[in-house]
Amino acid sequence: MNQLVSRLIALLVMALLVACGDSTETDSATTAGGSERDISSEVEAYYAEHADFFRFKTPADIPADLVWEDGSELPDIGSPDARKGGTFYGAISDFPRTLRTVGPDSNGAFRNYILDDVAVQLAHRHPEEYSYYPGIATAWAVDEGNHTVYIKMDPDARWSDGVPVTADDMLFLYFFNQSSYIVAPWYNNFYSVNYDNITKYDDHTISITTAGPRPDLLSYALEHTPAPRHFYKELGDDFVERYQWRFVPTTGAYVVHDEDVDKGRSITLTRNDDWWAKDKKFWRNRYNMDRIRLSVIRDTPKIFESFKRGDLDTFGLNLAEYWYEKLPDTDPDVQNGYIYKTVFYNQWPRPTYGLWINTDRPLLNDLNIRIGINYATNWDLVIERFFRGDYERLNTANDGYGRYTNPNIKARPFDIDKAQEYFAKAGFTRRGPDGVLVNDQGQRLAFTITTGYESLQDVLTILKEEALKAGLEFRIEVLDQTASFKKVQEKQHDIGFTAFGSFLEEYPRFWEYLHSDNAYDQAFLPDGSVNPDRKLKAQTNNLLSVADPEIDRLIEQYDTSTNADEKMELAHRLEQLHFENASFVPGFKQPFYRVGYWRWVRWPEGFSYKYTDSATGLYIHWIDEEIREETLAARRAGRSFPPHIEVYDQYRAQ
Amino acid sequence: MNLRLNPQTIKKLRRFRQIKRGYFSFLVLALFLVLCLFGELLVNDRAIAVKYEGEMYFPTYGAFHPGTDFGLNYQYEVNYRDLKVLFEQQGGDNWVMMPPVPYSPFENDSASGVFRPEAPNFDARHFLGTDSTSRDILARLFYGTRTALIFSLGFMICVYIIGVAIGCAMGFFGGWFDILCQRLIEIWSNIPFLYMVIIVFSVIPAAYSIPIRIAILLIVMVLFSWTSMTYYMRTETYKEKVRDYVAASRVMGASNSRIIFRHILPNVLATLVTFMPFTIVSAVTAITALDFLGFGLPPPTPSLGELLKQGTANLRTAPWIVTSAFTTLVILLTIVTFIGEAIREAFDPKKYTVYR
Repeated sequence: MNQLVSRLIALLVMALLVACGDSTETDSATTAGGSERDISSEVEAYYAEHADFFRFKTPADIPADLVWEDGSELPDIGSPDARKGGTFYGAISDFPRTLRTVGPDSNGAFRNYILDDVAVQLAHRHPEEYSYYPGIATAWAVDEGNHTVYIKMDPDARWSDGVPVTADDMLFLYFFNQSSYIVAPWYNNFYSVNYDNITKYDDHTISITTAGPRPDLLSYALEHTPAPRHFYKELGDDFVERYQWRFVPTTGAYVVHDEDVDKGRSITLTRNDDWWAKDKKFWRNRYNMDRIRLSVIRDTPKIFESFKRGDLDTFGLNLAEYWYEKLPDTDPDVQNGYIYKTVFYNQWPRPTYGLWINTDRPLLNDLNIRIGINYATNWDLVIERFFRGDYERLNTANDGYGRYTNPNIKARPFDIDKAQEYFAKAGFTRRGPDGVLVNDQGQRLAFTITTGYESLQDVLTILKEEALKAGLEFRIEVLDQTASFKKVQEKQHDIGFTAFGSFLEEYPRFWEYLHSDNAYDQAFLPDGSVNPDRKLKAQTNNLLSVADPEIDRLIEQYDTSTNADEKMELAHRLEQLHFENASFVPGFKQPFYRVGYWRWVRWPEGFSYKYTDSATGLYIHWIDEEIREETLAARRAGRSFPPHIEVYDQYRAQ
Repeated sequence: MNLRLNPQTIKKLRRFRQIKRGYFSFLVLALFLVLCLFGELLVNDRAIAVKYEGEMYFPTYGAFHPGTDFGLNYQYEVNYRDLKVLFEQQGGDNWVMMPPVPYSPFENDSASGVFRPEAPNFDARHFLGTDSTSRDILARLFYGTRTALIFSLGFMICVYIIGVAIGCAMGFFGGWFDILCQRLIEIWSNIPFLYMVIIVFSVIPAAYSIPIRIAILLIVMVLFSWTSMTYYMRTETYKEKVRDYVAASRVMGASNSRIIFRHILPNVLATLVTFMPFTIVSAVTAITALDFLGFGLPPPTPSLGELLKQGTANLRTAPWIVTSAFTTLVILLTIVTFIGEAIREAFDPKKYTVYR
């Protein structure tokens, strides 16, 4: 009987404990940490299972003859005049679908604010000098022979929740990005295929070895933001939902508090007062605003009206329509010196705006027709009349890569006679009653251009009118961004008007958009002949469906080449072959960025740096709240300041 | 179907003519519809007539004329405006007669060399100015309105044929057939029509020509819009079915179809007719809204909604875009509504009631 009572009591106690456990779990799940699940042991097991990849050694194993670099000789970034404080008011056109930085829906425009532009990586490319300046790493050393980079991490580095950043977070980064939990196949592939191992020597020393030698070894080793191991402890199959609205601790200056997420309306970032890097050399003059408030405004015209009212601090004026018509130099707010206008010429790999022709399609598989389309597309008129001569003609799919861009390739100009000549070679000699060329089988020379750029549909209507002169009809299909991207990725298009985004890299990539691996499943039979049953491969960036053994061979050579001169030579040949293939009609490039901003937003002298692609990405600007008051008061009272319209062309390419 | 006008109807029509506002609106709309039929002669970049080397050409309809037809050195379609200037400079016997608005709704024609909205300019014959890529607004407005009107007429006819047929059948046969149809209609009409249009339209291949796309849009809209008509028809038929004259014709051995088409339909005509203009109003509004949202006809098809959209985006810098589109829409909808009110009043058996 006694035994029974004590058992009952024991059960009761256990039940109580379980209940307590439950409540703490639900609490902690909504805040930070969380004790419900802990995958630490799974991570350890994974490391043990992949002992070749995740290696553990001692500091004594680091070679002694390494030459350590730390980038400390590079100049500071930003201006010492920058004032801390104030609130920056910005707009986003869509509320972020998630606060995660990986996984479905995470790759939106908002991620720049919490990861790409803000989080501190091991090291970053200097925006002026191009070489690396330190972030979390304090020093790094390259062992070329073993394609390994040794990295010392800053013991001061802290996550925004106060937890130190250690070598374990770097190892965890690889576990995280290799795991299927995060539902991000691209990352899974990238972090597995490109690397051979990551080795921990002590809490703040690691080395990263790539899968093979590569000239841009440093970028593969240093451009990483560690993953907070303590935060992702609850990683599991429900990662996508569990972490949907939880702000990931960051190494950067800005954090998002739960109360600042007003779903569907606005989201506010707050500067972390205890940010570990706030006094470090390359970081002290940046990330100056106390708060960044981003309101959701869905329409660009409405964003502009908000800006004009003074509700928003900056507005991108890249489109000629805004620069010349909606905010002309004669605008009273500009003339009275309340709103400043700036053009900044930069150096950056250019987004590849142009027509991507699907060479798998009937008729479009004919080289003569593709060349004809090149000659029948009047980009020059678009650039001259619609973009008002501000933009330039893109010549290759790899413009802006310095010496890796073949300087001898010039895009084919608009030439009706040549276009007709090539169309005639393909059998299109007769014009139908509507002026469109017809061949002997009665096929019309008409193709659909698919695009997701609603704001650029006017460009296509101009191209359509012009192409008709050469007897070519373009049908225009404007879809929303996602649908259009899906369509071209699944190779359902005739011609796609799209662009691949650019990021700062030393040399261009070809495998992604030219290699037959990305065009077909098994494009060629083992004997080298074309596989008659080959099927188009969906979800790749070879929108051209180009499959050419010669190109494949050169790409493979290019990708494994470690000699920069040889690589350049190969890049030039690939660009030439791509030009001859005529599957890409290069469109336009914008050699600058333009921005309008209220007087109280300040930038350093010289405005920005050579290798930047936006005015605000480096966070070297600051807000002067006193000037804000002064300007608004002056505007009410009708007082004015000298107008300020600046062109910074110190980095303009000749 | 043989609907002979009976004295009642003639009286109603006479009554309609007496309501001046509605009657004149009707005349204006009718005139516009006639103009629309010959629109290519009024608003076009092709000349109405060309005299070249003693021969006459009428290029408005039919195949295009390459520049080489008129002694020019290009094989694409002649620019008749330039040709006119050229002939005038040459001073010979050759001449070109252009339509009053010498622009097509597609071509970019800019006086300043830059594609941007330009204010109305009577010398250049851009009577309402140009839009954001320097296309003539009057031309786009004209063809856009024509599409909307033809579309809504087609819409009305289709909706009425389906709605009247099913509604009449429900009312006339009643019983299980009626109950079953009612439930089906309730379910069907709960499908949100706008979303369906958007979904269906997003899967139509772009290779289809514009008329086919318009036809598909029409079919989809009709499919989701015929239901409301059935309610009225059903009740009206129920009411008429039990009247003595129907019983009498049945006693005389008339078939169902004869009873429906010869006896019931003419008597419920009044209800039908009064709804017609409002159906047109809703169709014009719907197609404009779809185009405004970007789910309608593909660019560069001219449409009222597309112009409104451009107008709201350029409210400050190019107010003439939104003014033209908005005014046209208001006038069109007002005229149709006036006609509708007049018809309703004319067909109202109680002559002196609130409608006056």
